[in-house]
Formats: sequence, structure tokens, C-alpha cells
Amino acid sequence: MNEVIKSIKRTPYQSLAIFLILFFTLFLSTIIFIALTFFNSFLGYVETRPQVTVYFQNKTSSSQIFKLRDDLTSSGKILSIKYISKDDAFKIYKDLNKENPLLLEMVTADILPASLEIYAKKPIFLPEIADYLKKQAGVDEVIFQKDIVNQLISITNVLRFTAIIFFGFLMFMTVIVLIVITSFKVALKKEEISLLQLLGATDNYIRSPFLKEAAFFGMTASLMSFAIISLAIVHFNPFLSSYLRGIPTLAINLYLYTLIVWPVNLYFLLITLFLSLCFGIIISTLASYLAIEKYLK
Amino acid sequence: MIVFDKVTKQFPLGNTGLDEVSFEVEENEFVFLVGPSGAGKTTILRLIIKELSPSSGTIVVDDLDIAAKKFSQNVDLRRKIGVIFQDFKILLDKNIFENIALGLKVVNFPAHKIKEEVKKSLAFVNLSHKEKVFPSQLSAGELQRVAIARALIGDRKIILADEPTGNLDPKTSWEIMKIFKKIEGKKTILFATHNTDIVNSLQKRVLVMKDGRLAKDQKKGGYDL
Repeated sequence: MNEVIKSIKRTPYQSLAIFLILFFTLFLSTIIFIALTFFNSFLGYVETRPQVTVYFQNKTSSSQIFKLRDDLTSSGKILSIKYISKDDAFKIYKDLNKENPLLLEMVTADILPASLEIYAKKPIFLPEIADYLKKQAGVDEVIFQKDIVNQLISITNVLRFTAIIFFGFLMFMTVIVLIVITSFKVALKKEEISLLQLLGATDNYIRSPFLKEAAFFGMTASLMSFAIISLAIVHFNPFLSSYLRGIPTLAINLYLYTLIVWPVNLYFLLITLFLSLCFGIIISTLASYLAIEKYLK
Repeated sequence: MIVFDKVTKQFPLGNTGLDEVSFEVEENEFVFLVGPSGAGKTTILRLIIKELSPSSGTIVVDDLDIAAKKFSQNVDLRRKIGVIFQDFKILLDKNIFENIALGLKVVNFPAHKIKEEVKKSLAFVNLSHKEKVFPSQLSAGELQRVAIARALIGDRKIILADEPTGNLDPKTSWEIMKIFKKIEGKKTILFATHNTDIVNSLQKRVLVMKDGRLAKDQKKGGYDL
């Protein structure tokens, strides 16, 4: 650690430049990571919502609704149908608004409509099912989410593609800039390196202080950028809470683990920090390694 | 300890550094390497520490065939050799203790023994009182003594000295030679120099280089070009 601090003191401007470029890269990368994770989990959430929801008029009897449900089921195009009675709807409403007694007082089970939540076997059946439902007696409203899902999928794809291109460019630019700056540092130590080689130092011994310093910068930049982003998340949490009201959790499925993204939680933050640290350390040590390797060869 | 057999070194631009040079240096022998500038003295030293590779011929250093194409033991080779330069090559941002300790640190010497070894080495070159001093505060003679201490530390078998008195006045040069006298017979020493007085006075073996060739090899020679 002492050697790292000494080295920073000897080349303060180069050290500052390395820190700033790493900070900038890690800050943007962490924001991209969080945004993509949110979008993916939100898409996952929307995809699990009913693909067609049909709300019935108050006068529609449950037997009429069940008949319609049976007709749809027998069509062979339906994956599943869930019946939500007026009472079920009221329970859901109460659950969603348990912190707002005023809203609870104003609503009773009578004014909430019964509904069917319908999942089709294939997305191409959705318009047909929606059209069929709109023509049925006793139907108040048909909500067909295909367009929303499609839009979200296309937005997420564009975002993912743009993020990958941007991230690749950012990585390339950062590594090049770091190699250039580290090369200056190496050049300043040219005599010392030659001497160490003559004394019988291994390449690893010569690389070691440069790599330690790079890891230190990667780690510090990562911690700083994470701290700022965490403060921003804490600051915007009330806004996000009101915006995402009604969505209990957002999660992404990893192979063996489901990562909960919303509400913001310690695990998600720790994983983000871990990835940011790994990325920061890898990118900075890689650039240093390449810069010193060029000189050693 | 050191064997050169018909060693030729051609530089990329076509000039010849060495031309079929052959000699042998026994273990713990003291040999002067003399000759005019450009005669090939430094090329011999650079070949021994494998800073250069020969164009042809064989070089064996402490049983290592370092001219072999597949030779990859540069680190092992250099850990056997201490090098002293005319311009000292002392790191200005490290104090004297740190400069000398470098010779041990690079060979992974146990950290707890480094202090003791460096102190012994400083005492050997009469610089015990200057261990915390920085190079800019030392005279040329003292800097060369630091360089010698660094070259000797870590039990290196071979000492290559490339005109170590070249930048020093006659009195200081003799102080440096006194240190070499102390290690004579304990290390294999190859001492490249232009200093006529030193070569003539010590009456050691002298290899005389001229135009990249070994012109003379005298057992107890003088500075005779």
C-alpha cells in the first residue's frame, strides 16, 4: 500500500487521469447495468401479466361469465383462464391500497367489475380472442396488452443493443486511454525497470507494482461511482415507489437464482457493487498489463 | 566460470562488435578487460548478462549455455551476476538502504534478513552511516560504493564492472579499487577499464581488445594496447 501511495505522489497528474477515466467508465457502466436490469425485469413482469383481460358489466351474471370461459377454453387457443370475481377484485384493491384508508372507504365490492384474465397459447391468437370477446354480450371492456408487450420488447432490444455497442466502445476507449497513461508511468520508470531486469527480477516482480496500483485505482473508482449511484437511488426511491406502485416485485431469473431488482434491496446493491469492483479491477489491471508487457517485450 | 568460444557479434547495421573472440575465465579469477573505445569491451559484458545475443559462437556462464537459441533462463543467469556501471545507475528516488536492498528483493530474499544483509554490505563499502541518505546527497565515489554494495549483495558469483572508475578522480578510483581488492579471490571479476595506472599496478590477467578481436591475453599484464 505504501508503494502505491508513493507512486501516486510521484506521478499525481497521470494518477488523477487514470482515476477519472476509470470513474467515468464505471459510473456509466453501473448506470447501464442497473437500467438494463430494471428494463429486463419490468419486461418479465409485463410478460407474466394476463395477455387479455376482459371486464364484465355489473349486470352480467357469473353463469354467463363461466359459459364464456368454457367456450374460450374449448376453442383450443387458450393456455389458461383465471376468473376474478367482484370479491376477489375488492381483495386485490384492498391489498394495493392498504396504506390509503380514504380510497378504501370510497370503494365497495359492488362497483368493482368481475373479470377474466386470459393467457393464449400463441401470441397470434390474441387479436382474434380480443375481437371475439368485444362482440359478446355483458362485456364492458377488453384490455389487450400485446402492443404494450411488443413495444416493451422492442424498446428493451434497442436499449440492450445500444448499451452493448456503447459499452464496447467505452471499454475500448478506456483501455486505450489507460494504456497510454500507464505507458507514461512506465516510461518514467524505464531506468528502474532496466536495473531490476539486470539484477535478475522476474517479469512478474516488475509488473507487480503497476498491477497493484491499477487494482487500487479500479477499486477506488468503483467504490466512488457505486457510492454516488447508491445515493442517487436512495434519493429517487420515493419517486420510483410511487411510479411503480402496484408492482410488488421486479426480478430477473438467473440460471439458479432469482435476483429481486425492485424494491431496491441489499442483495441487488451488493451484486452491483461486486460486478462493478470486478469490472473496475479487471479493466484497469488489463490495461496496465498490456502497457507494461509492451515495454517488457 | 565464463567461456567464450569463437563468439561473433554483428549489429543490425552491419558493424562488427566482436569477431571470433575466445577466452576462458576461471572461478574467482580477476581479469581486466582493456582496449580503446569501441573495441568490444562493453559488448562482452552485455553478452555475458544476456542483454545481447551473439551472432555465432558459444558462451557458457557458470554451466549455462547462454548462446543457445532456446536459452530462457535470463533471470537465473542474472541472479548470479552483479553489474557495476560507470554511471552508477542508482535510483534517485530511493535512499541508499533501499537501493542496496533492491539486489535482495528481486531474488525474493527473506524480508526479515534484508536489513541485516544490507547493513553488512554497507559496512563492507564503509557507508554504514549513510543508509538513510538519498543519492543526491552523496559524492561520485560514494555512489560508486553504493553500486558495488548492490552488485555484491545476495552472494552473486560473478562481478562485471564496466569502467567503474571512469567518472572518478584518481584518489577516489583507488578507494574503489581497495574494495575490489577485498573481494579478489572470492568472486569472478571481469573489470573493463581505461585506467592505465590501475591495470599496471595490480598486475592481474589482462584481455586486450582491439577492433572487436582479442588482441592479447596476458597472465600478469599491463595496459599495453
